[in-house]
This record gives sequence, C-alpha cells and structure tokens, in this order.
Amino acid sequence: MGRLRGTLGSIAVLTYLSLVMAPVALALHRIISVTGFTPREWIQSLSENYISAGVLEFTIVQAACSTILTSMVALPVAWVLGRYRWPFEPWIRAVLTLPFVIPSIIAAMGVLTLVGVHGANIRANEATWWWTLIASHAWFNMALYIRFCEPLLSTMDPRLEEQLRLLPNGRSRLSRIRNLWAPLLMPSIAAAACMTFVFSFTSFALVRWITIRDDTLESMMAEVSSSAGISGYMETSSQIVMGASMIQFTILLVCLWLTSAIQRNRQARLRLSSPRRLDSPSWPAWLVLVPAMVFAISPLASVVVGSFRIRDPTIGNSAFRWGLDGWEAAIHGSFSFPPMSNAISNSLGYALVALLVALPLGYLLAATIHRLERTRPLLSRALDISTMLPFALSAAMVGLGVLIGVIRLNPQSLYQFWPLPSLAHVMLTTPFVVRIILPALRSYEKRYEENAMVLGMGAYARFLKIKLPLMRGPLVVSSVFVIAMSLGEFGASFIIARNSDWVTMPLLIDAWRAKPMKDPLSAPASNSIATVLMLITMGLFLLAERFRSDRQGGMF
Amino acid sequence: MLTCKGLTKSFDKPLFQDLAINLGPGQIMAILGPSGCGKTTLLRCICGLEDLDQGSILLKGADVTATPPEDRGIGMIFQEPVLYPHLSVSGNLSLASESGHQAALEEVGLGGFADRSVETLSGGEGQRVALARALLAEPSVLLLDEPFSALDAELSMRLVEDVRRILKERMCPAILVTHNQGEASTFADMVMHMPDLH
Repeated sequence: MGRLRGTLGSIAVLTYLSLVMAPVALALHRIISVTGFTPREWIQSLSENYISAGVLEFTIVQAACSTILTSMVALPVAWVLGRYRWPFEPWIRAVLTLPFVIPSIIAAMGVLTLVGVHGANIRANEATWWWTLIASHAWFNMALYIRFCEPLLSTMDPRLEEQLRLLPNGRSRLSRIRNLWAPLLMPSIAAAACMTFVFSFTSFALVRWITIRDDTLESMMAEVSSSAGISGYMETSSQIVMGASMIQFTILLVCLWLTSAIQRNRQARLRLSSPRRLDSPSWPAWLVLVPAMVFAISPLASVVVGSFRIRDPTIGNSAFRWGLDGWEAAIHGSFSFPPMSNAISNSLGYALVALLVALPLGYLLAATIHRLERTRPLLSRALDISTMLPFALSAAMVGLGVLIGVIRLNPQSLYQFWPLPSLAHVMLTTPFVVRIILPALRSYEKRYEENAMVLGMGAYARFLKIKLPLMRGPLVVSSVFVIAMSLGEFGASFIIARNSDWVTMPLLIDAWRAKPMKDPLSAPASNSIATVLMLITMGLFLLAERFRSDRQGGMF
Repeated sequence: MLTCKGLTKSFDKPLFQDLAINLGPGQIMAILGPSGCGKTTLLRCICGLEDLDQGSILLKGADVTATPPEDRGIGMIFQEPVLYPHLSVSGNLSLASESGHQAALEEVGLGGFADRSVETLSGGEGQRVALARALLAEPSVLLLDEPFSALDAELSMRLVEDVRRILKERMCPAILVTHNQGEASTFADMVMHMPDLH
C-alpha cells in the first residue's frame, strides 16, 4: 500500500505539472521568444502604450478602495452574525455569503440592472461608475470577512470577555476592543483584507461591464492577449502581457503569502474556542443585519426581475413592460447566438470533465503533501507552494497558456477538441481542491486509523470504510467548488473558447449583453441566462453548506 | 464588607432562593454543593455576569446590584484559567495593572515567567497566573470558581495554602466554590452548604 501511495502521488505530481504548469511555461516561453527577455521593457511598455497607460494605477487604487469599503461594510455584519443567535441563521449566513460564490458576470448583470435606466438610473453620469465598481467589489467580497471573522466571533470562549470585564483594563467597551477583540480579530481581518485586495485586483467581469473604459491588469490582458505571442505582429501586446503578468504575479504572490502566514497565526489562536453563544440580537444588531441582507440580495433579485422586464421603444425610451420575451430569446437563440440549452450543456459538460480530473488530482496532491510533511518536510512545503501558484496567475494568463499550448502541440485537432476549455478550468480549480482537502487530512485523527487496524481492517477497507466516509464533507465541498467555479469561469474561457460550439453560460451572457442596447431583448436575455446560472450555483452552495463544519474558518 | 440578601435565581428550574451571605475583611467562605446546584451561577450573580431574579448585593455598604460587573471591583477566577493567547504572561498581568508584575509572579511562585507565552504554561501555572492577575487588580472581594479542581492533589493542596495565605495577608475577602470537603475546610474560615432545590 505504501508503494502504491508513492506511485499514485508521483503520477499526481507529474500530471499536475504537465496539466497545470506546462501551459503557463509554454505561454511564457512563446511570449518571451517574441519579445526577448527584457523585463525592464515589459514593465516600461505598460506606461508607454495608450492601451495600458494608467491601468496599473487604476488596478491598485480601485483594489485598495474596494478593500477599505468592504472592511467598513462587512466587519459590522460579521460581528453581529457571530455575536448573536439569529432566527433562520443558516439561511442568513447562506444569503450573506452567496455573492462571493456567484459568478462575477452575474454580479455585473445584477449591478447594471440596479443602476441602469430602470433602476437608480445613474449610468448616464460617468462619475458614478467608479463608486459603482467599488460598491460591487464590497458586495462581492463581503462574504470573505464573514467567512474569516464570524467563526472566531461565534466560537470565542465568552469567558475571555467576562474575565476582562472584571479586570481594570477591561472595564470600558473601548478597552475591551483594544485588549481583546482587536488583537484576536486582527489576523482574520488582515487575511480577509488581503484576499479582498486579491479578488478586487484581478476583477474582470465587473470592471469590463461597470467601468467600461477603465481596465484592471486582468481585463486589459484578456483584451490584448489575442494578439500576443505572434512573431512580427503587434509585439507591444506581448510586452504588455508580460509586464502586466509579472507585476500581477508578484503582487498576488505577496498577498497570498501574507494571507497564508496570517492564517497560520490565526489557526493557533482558534484553539481556545468554545461552543456558540446564545445571546438574542439587540435592535442595533438588526439595524446592521437587515440592510446587509438587502445589500446582498438586491443585485441577485434584480437579475431575476430584469429577465422579465422588457424595454418598450414603442411607448418611450425609458418605458418598459413585463414579459417572457427575454427568456424566449435566450432559450431559442438567434442567428448570432446559440440557444441557452447549448450553453448549459457545454457548461455542465466542462464542469463535469473538470470535476473528474481536478477532484482526484487535487486529492492525491493533498495526500502526497500531507504524507511528505512527516518524512520530507522541505519537499512537502515546495509542493504545497507550487499548488498555490495558480492562485497568483491571472485567468487570462491561464487561458493564454492553454491557447499557446494548443498552437505548439496540434492546433488542427485540438481546436476540434471539445473538452479543451476544461483544461483551463482544471488549472484554476485544482488548487481549491488541495486547499480544502489538505486541512481535512491534517485534522483526520490518527486514532481512527489505529483503531481500525487493531480491528483487523486492511488498508483498502480502512480507506473505503473509515477515511472516505469521514472525508465526505470536504469532498462534497470541493466538488461543489470545482463545478461552481467551472460553471462561472469567464476570463480563461473568454480567451480559449474561439469555437462558437463551445460557448458557455458566462460567455453567452456576455455576448447577449454586448449586443447593442437598441435591441430591447439584450438585457432581459442575458439576465435570464444569468438567472439560470445563479440558481444552479445557489443550489450547489446550499448543498455544500450542509457539509461544511460549523467551526470552519477561511474563505473556502 | 460584602452583604448579600435574599438572593434568588432560577433558569428552567430554581437554583437558589433567599440566600444570604455576609463577609467581613479577610474572611474566606467556601460554598459546597453537588454539581448543578447553582454554585457557579451564584458567583456569576455576585460579580454581575448574571442578573439576579431577586435580592441585593452590598459592597462596603453601597448597593451594587444594578452595577455592571466591570464597575463592581469584584474579581473572579474561573475553573479553568482564562488567559489571553495573544498576550504573554506579563501582557496578561498588564490587563490588571501596568506595574508590580515581578512581585505578583513571585508571590504565586512563578518568578521568571513574565515573558513566557501563556500557551506553554501547564494547568497549575496557568491558574497561578490567573490568580496573580486577579490579585494585581486589588479586588474588594475575590470569587474563586473551583480553581483547584483540575490540578493534581499535591499541587492543588499547595496552591490552596498559598492562595489562603496571600488573601489573608491582603485582608481580601473571598468566596470559594468547590465540591471538595477537604479543600473547603483547609481554605475557608466558614463553609456554607448550598441546598439542592430540585
């Protein structure tokens, strides 16, 4: 069994390296062969070219502002959710964390409907675009603060505060915040802030649709990457992609390292937790929670409502009527767009392929890292870090990697190879599987294994009858993550899916929305596809919530 | 110094009814009773962490029944030491007072522990740090909720004697909740048996 484990582990590592790392290496090799190895010029090209000038500044400033606003909005919500016992609490938590797991293109559609001509009607004023984007990022990332801070708040031993109230330096509320809550919560807040910064920094769909003329490094790369990596043709594009990738990779790596270091610190402190406290919410707590629920639900509800609301130019430009025309258009398709069923079957197919590869691959990688932790800690650490690298890569770079890999290998047959977009989805989802399974393997108690051994159970029986059932929760949660992320994946698919038969739900949403708004069905049709995608994602995550441990912190 | 009159409390069932306690300076009382009879709740009511159904608490003649726990000046040591994991031993003591850490630690037999992380302390050491911190705060009354029960017999007996000596030196009145008859008689000047009302 030991030898089999070693062989499977080696196969997993090699598969991961060839499937996940090789396309990126190919992309880098290809682009460098076009531009030459000139890092200084890559960076300079960002400020010298009209396409990329100011993009880095915009990316950093909007990510920083989004992080600050998210902290201001989400911390009070995490506090009241963790400190009080609420009626229908699992539903409240699910609703508040839903924005984070909803594909960003749905968020974009929801926000556009809210602020559009039939909503707040502020789109005409371009000055509102910036704040709409920042508020959208706050909406999207609010769940991170809840995931990181709420478990600590809800399971914190209440005696810690009670004891402090009886000591001179804990008599005032302010001193208790200073001496207890701030130092204990700071690692969770910092980790949530780091991840919020990362997600805002790599924002694609929201930037693409809300600010229109402004780009993040991610959205800019997706736009210019189609002309990158081609010798003698628009070499500036290749330089821009390399410069943007380098900067993005460095910044994201620092943020992820910071998050990881902070989380290790946080884990040590969580040990002193105790069961949930039972206080009933006070009225100020309701004043925090109810608006937060409205904030979380509004963009999602507006997607559903927007799918039935049709602009009626025969009455007037801002008049509308209710109807199923948007749904009919999306379901039947048109000369330009395939029917929704094609996009659904493609999306589900890609998600299934991604699941079939990413789940066993991620499990085996996590098991290998865990096994090496005892025998070869340095190798284990190196493998652990390498499985996190895709987090620091942009989806655009991953898409480009797959595309260039295809060109290098066999463009003729691979462009006919339907599951190709799944490769990018595997690259993007495998790290999530590792990050979910690895802590579960670490917390799997050795005594279960030992007890099964003295009961005479062999290695396979122990795996099937003991380990697998005990790992059911993390396996379900990681499966849901793989399927949901694959279904909602937009950036990489935007680059790879050049064949119109490969269109996915996010791509079809994007295509309908990109149609000139003169067509009154553009918005309702895109909203109706977004509604279907949203309902599937919601169903998946409600399923995952049933298997998630109550004390589990962190974003996954 | 501490006068409790007509203390009454019930949750789903009555815990104590019309209870009276009188403690003068330096007097130590032990409260004995079976598990679940409300001993811990009584201490939590006296220091203000729980509200009474009825009764009043007077400290140095002043009625503190409605005073928040942080303003009563009553200290409490819990069954398991409550130490703050983000602070060192000295950091935990600084929550009670910014100075006098070394002397307080030496008083409980932990000289040289000031810079230690609280996560490296044994149960007995942790309880001593909690005691040093409670005493540094100079409470008017100290409440002890079975603080010796989790320790081994030898350590428990030594700590019982040390704590009693320190309290007597400071003339600090105290109430110890325990279910150990021997511990109660060694530690306290008087013993009260808590009736089981259910």
